[in-house]
Amino acid sequence: MGKVILDGVTKRYADVTAVNDMNLDIRDGEFVTLVGPSGCGKSTTLETIAGLTKPTEGTITIAEKEVTNLPPKDRGIAMVFQNIALFPHMDVYDNISFGLRLRDYPKEEIDRRVERASDIVQLEGMLERMPDEMSGGQRQRVAIARAIVREPEVFLMDEPLANLDAKLRVHMRTELQRLHKELDTTIIYVTHDQAEAMTMSDRIAIIDGGELQQIDPPLVCYNEPQNLFVAGFIGSPSMNFVEGEVTASGLSTPDFDVEFDPGQLSGVTPGDALTLGVRPEDVYLREKSENVSNPTQPIAARTDVLEPMGDEIFVYLLTGDADPTMEADDAMPQNQLLMSVDPSSDISEDTDVEVVLDRERAHLFDTETGDAISHSLEFAAVEPGPAGTEAEGDD
Amino acid sequence: MATESETEQGPLSRWVDSSIQNPEKVYRAMFYVATIFFLFTTLFPFYWLLVLALTPNDAIANFGFPPVPNGFNPGAFIEVFQQVPFHLYVFNSFVLGIVTTAVVLVLASLAGYVFGRLDFPGKAPLMLLILAVSYFPPAAFVIPLFRLFTGNVTLFGVAPPELFNTPFAMILPFSALFMPLSIFILSTFYGQIPDGLEDAARIEGTTRLGALFRVIVPLSAPGVATAGVLTFISVYNEFFFSFIMTTGEADQWAPLVWGILSYQGQYSELYNLMAAASIVGVLPVAIIVVVAQEKIVSGLTAGALKE
Repeated sequence: MGKVILDGVTKRYADVTAVNDMNLDIRDGEFVTLVGPSGCGKSTTLETIAGLTKPTEGTITIAEKEVTNLPPKDRGIAMVFQNIALFPHMDVYDNISFGLRLRDYPKEEIDRRVERASDIVQLEGMLERMPDEMSGGQRQRVAIARAIVREPEVFLMDEPLANLDAKLRVHMRTELQRLHKELDTTIIYVTHDQAEAMTMSDRIAIIDGGELQQIDPPLVCYNEPQNLFVAGFIGSPSMNFVEGEVTASGLSTPDFDVEFDPGQLSGVTPGDALTLGVRPEDVYLREKSENVSNPTQPIAARTDVLEPMGDEIFVYLLTGDADPTMEADDAMPQNQLLMSVDPSSDISEDTDVEVVLDRERAHLFDTETGDAISHSLEFAAVEPGPAGTEAEGDD
Repeated sequence: MATESETEQGPLSRWVDSSIQNPEKVYRAMFYVATIFFLFTTLFPFYWLLVLALTPNDAIANFGFPPVPNGFNPGAFIEVFQQVPFHLYVFNSFVLGIVTTAVVLVLASLAGYVFGRLDFPGKAPLMLLILAVSYFPPAAFVIPLFRLFTGNVTLFGVAPPELFNTPFAMILPFSALFMPLSIFILSTFYGQIPDGLEDAARIEGTTRLGALFRVIVPLSAPGVATAGVLTFISVYNEFFFSFIMTTGEADQWAPLVWGILSYQGQYSELYNLMAAASIVGVLPVAIIVVVAQEKIVSGLTAGALKE
């Protein structure tokens, strides 16, 4: 029923391409999150689905009906906006029933549906309030009630939690998940917050520069990122990247070497430039690495800054001669490694340590194209990214 | 206090001294002077009308200053309706004003939406062109329009309907003349309504037009009220076209000013009745302005949107 298919959707403005050849196939009842940095085209994509923006090229199909040229009202969708967008001159009841009244539903039917929708979002007894008499969370609930009351095929949500305070945001996150379970409709959700994307979605679509980078379940995106951009975007703090060159026995980076058999990787020959990616939790102090079945050779490093988070400590390490190597356009030192350790670890700043990487959880990317080459240095599961996935996120 | 020793000073220089110490005093004094001046210039004509209306017509002469009625004749306010069907003239003006205001608000809303909320090439020059229409002296249109409305012009071989002595002969030029200002006011107001609200309305099931009239216009109520009141008052007071486009009979849609003028006959000039009629004519507008002002002040858009 509520399937949404985007086929080659492109949106060009006078001088920029906001969305480029977007292909999405969203199943009925699926919760898909479009995520990406600001300006990446995720909101424009949502607007083309909503019908607020007309794509320059491509077609959009909702519930087996092509809607590319239909106005928003005929698409069977409902939308929740970032700025909430309640009609300030109407009370809660009128806001929620706006769409039903436009469609000339009988009064009893409207009353019944409004009551049910306000039950679901727990707005009992507030139907006569005006939006400016309500708190941010209550208004957001009214906006959600306004969307669900029409029982649409597809829900679109454009950063609906962005304007709420942190605590309420986490609370609304679980409410949205509960809502999804209850209603069982397709939800397309746009956010720049990857925590929202990871926790709520069935699948995440990562978008950058107007192009789809990867669409997969959250853990697949996390464990098997298809390119450097996805690897760097998903996960907080971000994955460590170290650029190096392929040798006959592995990868040689300025400060350390990791060994693998390049012959096992198709299309990789010694001399190629590859980037090693490893998440902070896959970097271990040498003395704590007894559970890592396949560690790399020890890497000498010096601790720089510690960030105790309570449940873990982020340790910024500098490899090599322990001076930060930075070039003008680097966001962080090239020889920096971020490690996450147990809070009980006895570690202090500015001490020399030895660390190892988990070879089974290290990633290799083509430095030039950014495409993933392998998600392990033990080549049991080699999953190169699909051909033609252009990555621009290797900055 | 300190001035007690300087006994030669008069009251004025004492006041000056203390205002130098305390400039607040001067500002307050200036405020009162300005207020009294403006109140006098706006209210004195009304008072003068009242004096004229209450004075019997044969005693209208030789007023002193301040003028007081030479006699007391409130019957003039009844006589105005007996001499001519003045209520019909007021009614005509009302109808002309309301119809013109409605036409202007509907069309200017559409134009205001386009100019306020859409982007298209040539928007600024087009807006200027529209505003330029309102800079034109209306007299420039009057002769061609008169010939057109009296049926002396054929367009492409077709004689247009004779509109002279019908309300359309006034409503059409009024609407055209007062439209640009309303477009300007409304486009400013409509441009301030957040896009999210229009998007929400369209998603909920309105067309763009529906979103305009269900969401944008209600939220711009102060602007719509302003444009409406301005248009209505301009039409209600209008003299030039009203005088030329009708022959002046109440049943030929002649407006208020024609009614007032009709107390001026060939042999008599009933100044007291003209004054009384003017007061009667002003009252409805005064009431409308007071009511509309409440609407303007109410501030419907306050704090309902998180942006």
